[in-house]
Amino acid sequence: MLLDVASLDAFYDDLQALHDLNIQVERGESVALVGANGAGKTTFMRCLAGLIERKRGAITFGGHNILRMPAEAIARRGIALVPEGRMLFPSLNVEENLLMGALGRRPGYWNLQRIFTLFPLLAERRRQMPNTLSGGQQGLVAIGRALMANPELLLCDEISLGLAPVAVDQIYASFSRIRIEGTAIVVVEQDVKRAASATDRVYCLLEGHVTLQGQSRKLDLEELTRAYFGT
Amino acid sequence: MGWTGTIVNGVLLGGLYGLFGVGLALVFGVTRIVNIMHGEFIALSAFIALGVSSLLPDVHPLVLIMPVVIVSFALGYALQAVLVNRSMRLPDPLAPLLLTFGLSVIVRNLMIEGFGVNPRHIRQGDFGQLSIDVFGIPVGVLPVVTLMLAVTLFVILQLLLRRTELGRIVRATADNAEIVRLMGVRPASVYNIVMGLSFALAGVAGLMLALRTTFTPFSGVERLLISFEVVVMGGLGSFWGAMLAGIALGVAQLVGLRLNPNSGFLYANLVFFAFVMLRPNGLFGTRQ
Amino acid sequence: MKKHSATLSTLGIFVILAAAAPWLVGDGGVALLFEVLLMLTMAQLWNLLAGYTGLVSMGLQCFVGLGGYTTIFAANTFSVSPYWVLPLAPLVCGLIGAVSAPFLFRLRDAYFSISTWVFAEVVAMLVFITPGLGHVTGMTLETAREIDYETFLLANFWIAAALAAGVVTGIFALLQSPLGLGLLSVRDDDVAAASIGVNVWRNRFIAYVAAAAGCGLAGGISFMAALFITVTTAFDLNWVVAMIFTVIIGGIGTLEGPIVGVAIYYGIRALLTNVFALSGSWYLVTLGAIAVITMLVAPRGIWPFIRDRFGIELLRVSRKLVDDLPHAETNAITSKTTANSRFLDYGSD
Repeated sequence: MLLDVASLDAFYDDLQALHDLNIQVERGESVALVGANGAGKTTFMRCLAGLIERKRGAITFGGHNILRMPAEAIARRGIALVPEGRMLFPSLNVEENLLMGALGRRPGYWNLQRIFTLFPLLAERRRQMPNTLSGGQQGLVAIGRALMANPELLLCDEISLGLAPVAVDQIYASFSRIRIEGTAIVVVEQDVKRAASATDRVYCLLEGHVTLQGQSRKLDLEELTRAYFGT
Repeated sequence: MGWTGTIVNGVLLGGLYGLFGVGLALVFGVTRIVNIMHGEFIALSAFIALGVSSLLPDVHPLVLIMPVVIVSFALGYALQAVLVNRSMRLPDPLAPLLLTFGLSVIVRNLMIEGFGVNPRHIRQGDFGQLSIDVFGIPVGVLPVVTLMLAVTLFVILQLLLRRTELGRIVRATADNAEIVRLMGVRPASVYNIVMGLSFALAGVAGLMLALRTTFTPFSGVERLLISFEVVVMGGLGSFWGAMLAGIALGVAQLVGLRLNPNSGFLYANLVFFAFVMLRPNGLFGTRQ
Repeated sequence: MKKHSATLSTLGIFVILAAAAPWLVGDGGVALLFEVLLMLTMAQLWNLLAGYTGLVSMGLQCFVGLGGYTTIFAANTFSVSPYWVLPLAPLVCGLIGAVSAPFLFRLRDAYFSISTWVFAEVVAMLVFITPGLGHVTGMTLETAREIDYETFLLANFWIAAALAAGVVTGIFALLQSPLGLGLLSVRDDDVAAASIGVNVWRNRFIAYVAAAAGCGLAGGISFMAALFITVTTAFDLNWVVAMIFTVIIGGIGTLEGPIVGVAIYYGIRALLTNVFALSGSWYLVTLGAIAVITMLVAPRGIWPFIRDRFGIELLRVSRKLVDDLPHAETNAITSKTTANSRFLDYGSD
């Protein structure tokens, strides 16, 4: 098992955001994390990436306990987060943003040229600044930046938020190429249909609890709705 | 010397002022901290340069630039790593400001105790007095060298930031210190390097100061204020703006001294205030 | 009501001690206490600005000096005893504070701080080059001849005591009032305060003018007592250095903090000069080192540290700092850009 999260609690100041989460991801698997706003999806992703201090439980990645590991170390171990809002560096152009991802010098398939092959749009715009790109294009850069680290686990937090469907299609289309390299993907999505169609398994969160998990193909819409909104 | 001469020399002085300011601009741009120790370190560096120079009387002081850069870098790095990073972890956003303020007081008073209050200067024989005629205006060689040095250091700094991986990392950290961790970067380490660079620049500035004029342990305060004015007038994120601001202040300074030899930095300070009120974002303010 | 009686009795005790001081501690003691009380006043004022409105001033020495020059100049010009013109000091300083505040308030955080410093330097230089104010040699209080030394010493002491008591009581009362709550909210989070309708700008303005006037009066008293003023002593940066260090060490944002800080300040000074025979610069080095260590080890100052350890409350004004709640510190340093990334603020609220 690549990622094993057990009994994870997480806190913002005194507020408990996650309650006793148990989530697993196998090598090369793709998993969707769905839920309404405030369900704790982004908090969970940030916990995995090491950006949340106040947490307890167990997070095991590739056999190592990363619960207390700082974000910098986790990144070098092979977890790459595409953060909510994309968060490109405004002072760096497209190419420089991508190169930032490769700092860890992890061996693997992805390099600058191959990212440009995956997203030809970016090759044309390699010297442009992020604020001149559309939302969808920024999303591609963000994913490319994460891929440049050759991660074993790619975390995508709300990458379709605010984007035109065409742009989202393009992003999801790249997933199949990414998965060929054996990278596991966790996708946080509000669009349940899209999330289910692109992944093997689904977890549903509500107010910091896991309320449903199962195979994406076998999702029962009624059950999911209950788990999503909590009735 | 006519007014043209004053202005030309003001521009040259501006090179030194730009040099004072760019170190402060670098630190602020990346860490959002105004390092109040900056001025004191310029003064301290002048004293150290004086000391080393008197130990090696046959060596021309300009040769000292490399050792000054290296030692200053190390001091700045250590200061950030041991003290300032700690203050940045505290919940109070005023903490780093107050810390560097406290440190500046300590350093200034140690200098007073250690070196006394008499004005000092590095004698360089005839070199300091050399001047050449540019279109009939007598222009000091040392100020020209200083300006050239400042521009060179600026260019090196810009190249470092724009064309190297380290520069990318520094710029990215300045943009978003949290996200940069996702790429394996430790912001604290970046801050160490940036403070080291800042001190290196301040060190060179101190050396040039010691060559150009007399200084005392109280010289640091004035240099901090000038550096600060250069940074603010230049606009956040712009080094060339800082250079231009330095020149504006240099001209204001010499014009002011010509109007009233006892006015010290009054005219430069007034230009600063006027400028800030009229153009609050500075000359080339880019960062929002 | 319980709070009020506690306040009144504290005040009463202070008044009695102040009245009796000359017989309790003698002339030397009175002279020292005179200094201490002025220092306390200034520390409380700096604390009002920094601890309660978030304005870190590095330029209050400007008003100390202006107050001193106003007093001595007016006394000389009108040929009267300085006591008559003393009220001019806070007036002039309050006015200049009021006029300069709108400009200085356009800058935020560190930029505000250093600009107050630049402002002080400008004022100092303007005073220096203005004819009739003594230039390098300074000004003597010419009407000093009319003063009887014995009563002079005592009168100054009692005025300083009244000022200190007035300032502390005033700040205490202020913080209990609606205006005061506004100030507290501004310090904690000015964006949030503005969003609930607190007039951030006005609160800061009032505090700034009060600090200017108060420091002006303190300066006026100080230099009146000294009978002599120069630009170097009047606008000495070390005035504000002392204010900052005492408040940081004692406890920023608390009323007791400056009291504790001032006590430590003079205690250390006595220690260094009497026991170790060290000069003034070493004293500042030591104080600076203590301030730096306090900032890193007990960031809120010594008084809150003691108070929380032993649960003592003296002049506690009811407030809870966000920091009072148990709070995990982050290991990561993220530069505090967020809401304060604009370093300029024009258009206030």
